[in-house]
Amino acid sequence: MGLRKFSLRAFLKKNLDFIAGVSSEIGLCIGIIIIALAISFFLVFIKSLA
Amino acid sequence: MIPSLRREDLRIIGFNLSKILFIVSIVMLIPIIVAVIYGEFEIIPHFLIGSSISVILGSITHHYWETDKEMELKHALCFAALTWIVSMLVTAIPLWTTGSTNSYLDANFDTMSGFTTSGLTLVPDIDHLSYSINFYRHFLQFFGGIGIIVISLTVLSRSELSSVLTFKGEARDIGIKPNIVRTARVILGIAIAFMVIGSVLFTAAGIIEGANLRTAIFDGVNYSMAAYSTGGFAPHSQNMLFYHSTLYEVIALIIFLIGSFNFSFHYSILSGRRREIFKNIEIKTFFTILLLSTLVISGLLLFSGVYSTPDVLFRKAFFQAASAQTTTGFGTLYPVQISTIWPSTVVFMMAMLMMIGASANSTAGGIKAIRIGVMVKSFVREIKKALSPRSATVETTYHHVEDTPLTETVAKGAMLIAFSYVLLFIVGTTITMLHGYGMSDSMFETASAVGNTGLSSGITSPAMPDTLKVTYIFLMWAGRLEIMAVLVLIGFTILGIRRGFRK
Repeated sequence: MGLRKFSLRAFLKKNLDFIAGVSSEIGLCIGIIIIALAISFFLVFIKSLA
Repeated sequence: MIPSLRREDLRIIGFNLSKILFIVSIVMLIPIIVAVIYGEFEIIPHFLIGSSISVILGSITHHYWETDKEMELKHALCFAALTWIVSMLVTAIPLWTTGSTNSYLDANFDTMSGFTTSGLTLVPDIDHLSYSINFYRHFLQFFGGIGIIVISLTVLSRSELSSVLTFKGEARDIGIKPNIVRTARVILGIAIAFMVIGSVLFTAAGIIEGANLRTAIFDGVNYSMAAYSTGGFAPHSQNMLFYHSTLYEVIALIIFLIGSFNFSFHYSILSGRRREIFKNIEIKTFFTILLLSTLVISGLLLFSGVYSTPDVLFRKAFFQAASAQTTTGFGTLYPVQISTIWPSTVVFMMAMLMMIGASANSTAGGIKAIRIGVMVKSFVREIKKALSPRSATVETTYHHVEDTPLTETVAKGAMLIAFSYVLLFIVGTTITMLHGYGMSDSMFETASAVGNTGLSSGITSPAMPDTLKVTYIFLMWAGRLEIMAVLVLIGFTILGIRRGFRK
């Protein structure tokens, strides 16, 4: 009964801020991880020039 | 005259501690579910004994110290400090009676490490622990992580010195007890949401890396609890090295970075104020320090010939730096490698990162990025003042959820707490060195205990001297409560004893 009444659209609409917030935080962390990876590549590149 | 603890004060603290004993008794029952799932029926009595002792002690204190008086700040600070001690003593029982640790002291070390989300461990054989005991250790970290956020938001933030901890989403004028209950509910909801997300991601990664479903789920849940609480316990002695997986390490990074964010920041982001990411002083300070440290540490490790490829640099240097600053303590290299392979400059920098820590009102330890940010702003303001004409007024604000004026009280509080951490670090390092350990290792291990991190240079082991175990228990406890609550408890107790706990 409960599942039949469940509407994904209504759920997403109701929890939009929360879902967007969680995604933003995960996105922020992934962004920092990418910068850290770029630092590693940059340093190895600099060393290869030396 | 400084007020000392009177009998009525002891009654209020004791009565509220009885409730903690009841909660802890329930905490000790939850691993029984895991014991039933994995057929470890011989372990169940150990949890029941621990839980029963907790209920009996709770009932006695509840009966004899029953009172309807509200907690004031002095009670709340002593209550916060004693909560960790009482919880440590009773939750150590199952670890000790099952023989998971060599002694009751070692069991206390592990439960204090768990509750303070440190991650240092004296369990001699993690790989052969029962599933339920292993789950229990991680669950203590998760529970302790939620506990410190609640205490930080509702008790520590009420002190003038810790005014940067204030949570703007909650009214500070309501009583401490209703505030604790209300805040705990919100925190629990957010923590469980992230813990579930982490468990799913870790389980999927485990399956991709070849683990069977049963192991992948068990490891996934435990790593997720340890990561979100920035705890650092792991279900395997090799810690993060067990999976040797970049995917597993990246998931761990995401979960423990999120776990190290300020609860006020979470609250803002999850309620739609996403611009906070670019404005928050704590987030900016934290990531600036982390990325600059990564640059320097990676450079030192690369140019000294320790590592040579970008992927290894990322997995060793950045992961360890992030693990240190978020005070998580997950390791992608063995403790002995830190003291033997890494240059001492890098070891020192890692110790400093552990001391700095991540965000206030989170599960992370250390001085906290917001205090570093406030101190830097305050320093810049003083320079501006010196350069400005005498008649000019220099006003500075910082953004943490909202624009806040940088007052003398906030700056003084940040400096005093930072000074206390440094003092604790010096004392801890000196005591460790007096036990015969080298300076570099002693600094690293002490910073790990004071900052509630859990990375080890190899000093922490079941064979370490008992006096050092007690020292580290104290350091983890004091560091977790930002020292002040512990000093208040010690001060009140000494004065109370001298004045005979008058009525």
